[in-house]
Amino acid sequence: MSKRIVINPLTRISGFMEIDVMIDQNQVVDVKTKGNLFRGFEQMLVGRSPFDAVYFTQRICGICSAAHSMASSRALEDALNIEPMEQGKYLRDIIHCCEFLQNHIRHFYQYTVPDYVKIEQNSLFQADHDDFRLPKSINDRISQHYFDSLKYSRLAHEMLAVLGGKAPHNHGVFIGGITTQATAEKVVHIDSILGKIARFIDEKMIPDVYDIARFYADYFRLGGGYGNLLTYGAFNHYKELGTLYVDPLVSTLESVEAFDESNIQEKIDYSYYKSITNSNQPNEEVTEPDMDKEKAYSWVKAPRYKGLPFEVGPLARLILSGTYNNGISAMDRTIARALEAKKISEVMKILLQQIIPGVDVQKKYELPELATGRGLVDTTRGALGHWLKIQDKKISFYQIITPSTWDFSTRDDNGFRGTAEEALVGTPIQNPDKPAEIGRILRSFDPCMSCATHVYSPGKQVKTIKVF
Amino acid sequence: MEGQILPPESLTNEAIAERLTSTALKSLKKRTIKKKNLIYLELNGCSGNIISLLNGQNPDFEYTLNSMVDLKFCNSLMAAEGEPAIEKLMKAMDDEYILAVEGAVALKNNGLYNIIGSWQGKPLTGLQAAKMLGEKASHILAVGACATHGGVSAAKPNPSQSVGLQMVLPDKKMIKLPGCPVHPDWFLGTLAHLLLYGEPETDNLDRPLMFYSTLIHDRCPRRPFFDRGIFAEKLGDKTCLFKLGCRGPVTRVDCPTRQWNGHVNWPIGDNTPCIGCAQFGFPDAMAPFISYDTTRVVKNE
Repeated sequence: MSKRIVINPLTRISGFMEIDVMIDQNQVVDVKTKGNLFRGFEQMLVGRSPFDAVYFTQRICGICSAAHSMASSRALEDALNIEPMEQGKYLRDIIHCCEFLQNHIRHFYQYTVPDYVKIEQNSLFQADHDDFRLPKSINDRISQHYFDSLKYSRLAHEMLAVLGGKAPHNHGVFIGGITTQATAEKVVHIDSILGKIARFIDEKMIPDVYDIARFYADYFRLGGGYGNLLTYGAFNHYKELGTLYVDPLVSTLESVEAFDESNIQEKIDYSYYKSITNSNQPNEEVTEPDMDKEKAYSWVKAPRYKGLPFEVGPLARLILSGTYNNGISAMDRTIARALEAKKISEVMKILLQQIIPGVDVQKKYELPELATGRGLVDTTRGALGHWLKIQDKKISFYQIITPSTWDFSTRDDNGFRGTAEEALVGTPIQNPDKPAEIGRILRSFDPCMSCATHVYSPGKQVKTIKVF
Repeated sequence: MEGQILPPESLTNEAIAERLTSTALKSLKKRTIKKKNLIYLELNGCSGNIISLLNGQNPDFEYTLNSMVDLKFCNSLMAAEGEPAIEKLMKAMDDEYILAVEGAVALKNNGLYNIIGSWQGKPLTGLQAAKMLGEKASHILAVGACATHGGVSAAKPNPSQSVGLQMVLPDKKMIKLPGCPVHPDWFLGTLAHLLLYGEPETDNLDRPLMFYSTLIHDRCPRRPFFDRGIFAEKLGDKTCLFKLGCRGPVTRVDCPTRQWNGHVNWPIGDNTPCIGCAQFGFPDAMAPFISYDTTRVVKNE
């Protein structure tokens, strides 16, 4: 007997998402992940001052705003031909590390834990299903850590603000690195907090995730998907330090190779957009919204690398950096996020040790009349790319492909599903009236639909059909 | 000091929030206040305000949740999902509740650019939810720039036709807390005031005076540089950022004294101009955010 399950909203994510699943004999046979929010950032950016992109694009996402400041600053540096000083890179990457820590702690405790732990302190955490398997002592301990963790994610943002001014939506990350100069007082302020956060990750977060994994071991066999992994590289290519985490790499079940950005295309066959073609290079893509499009079901587009869908994020990075080899599944993804938090705290410690106080990395920048640039960076959820064009000193084109666009892409004309869609196919559903499995698998990807569904980009230089 | 909430300006950054917390705690113990129901609705935006609220320190989120309000619905935090989550939202309307809304209301395609869930098999738009919940709420808080006036969601050319909450609830009184995002103290302090003493005193644009009374420029620690005409020429300089496009002179909020994230820093402290994120009209009225010389001749603007 087939049955359709619709979950809308998928809560405990950033933004709005609907999931539409067909099951047959209690097994998932087809899936559509749907982005349910549209703002149109790429169109808003056209005509603005290129410098404003750094603060403006952060407003795409409240939980990962620093990620967009990283990508837009790099895209502008590319367009303006600016090579930041190493001190600028270190300081900027420290801010980025703070965001990884804030994000991973919040995603694990506030978004993931309520899937597996019965938190009884407040009716807000009353679940729809009853698949809770932890012994009371472990359940109570992790419930308490839900609340204890708030202090540490807050402290991660405090570290971010020491260099970045405020969070969310920092002011510090900019062309050339950051806008402030390190001082001994700032360095020790951050270092003392970092020690506390690292201890929390070691002593609470990692044991908690392994305890959950022990009692929900079937999730090591669920939520796998295609197994194609991609990273643009993270905390890599420092002049003196080399690579502290991972280089730009892609892997399929057959091979591992260096990442080459010319292999990225974005498809819109099943997305609410129209364009001259349904498949485009990121720096030439021009689409307009069209909710009446036949077959379309989501605001999320479908990025592909060499025509294939790829998974991005902490698990992809850990595997591609050679530090994790247990497998690809919902539980591996969740464990990877906690292990990566530890890795990031170590990277941040090394970067902090490089800081020379008092170095001013800022200059007065001149805008070119005509330029193009791109900034590719791996952020909390995976590979993030910004592509921009400048004409008459204004932004004439802006294109963003976020990590959640990779993971929650729609299907394409070659018959490939999106990464998360494929991960759900074949999943056995114990109780179709109260399905716990779907939300758990989807949240293992840390969906950020505020990010994935902001798109829309008519470039002024290309003629398109106007819809309104 | 007990009971005194509106501060003399000389008091320290954390003083207001701390006094509110301790007073609330005492009142709860004495049972002079009762926890109220809160519905937290996220609409067309980045969900950055709820993240900022999790950064609350005094009071913190745990205290807020366990001692101040019963949070009945919150897309970012609640365990329930799908229609059972929306059912909780519908049920919460049976009792008295405070409604907090972040994000703008998208009007395009009759609201279909922002679907917040499914109810009885049909899509529930942000537009429908805002109207329905707003009509019955005992108090309404518009939280962050998108909710107070459209904010970044309504930036030119406003592809989703987003508007602030007041536009779809023209007759309803609401407290507006602009900011991108809102500072946790602005929200939690206002909420505490509602619970303890009723509505806080607001200005003619519905902003609580205890947070939004004074121009950033009037309390800026770099004001002496402005007065002496010493201006920064690039980001990273330690002097007045006015000529880089600082919007402190038009933005009313207490960032200079309160500061952010544990009260450790703020945009001007980071050697960057204020971009007016807590002022109505942000972002378009505040753009360009950064100019290297605002005395230049402006064309085509």
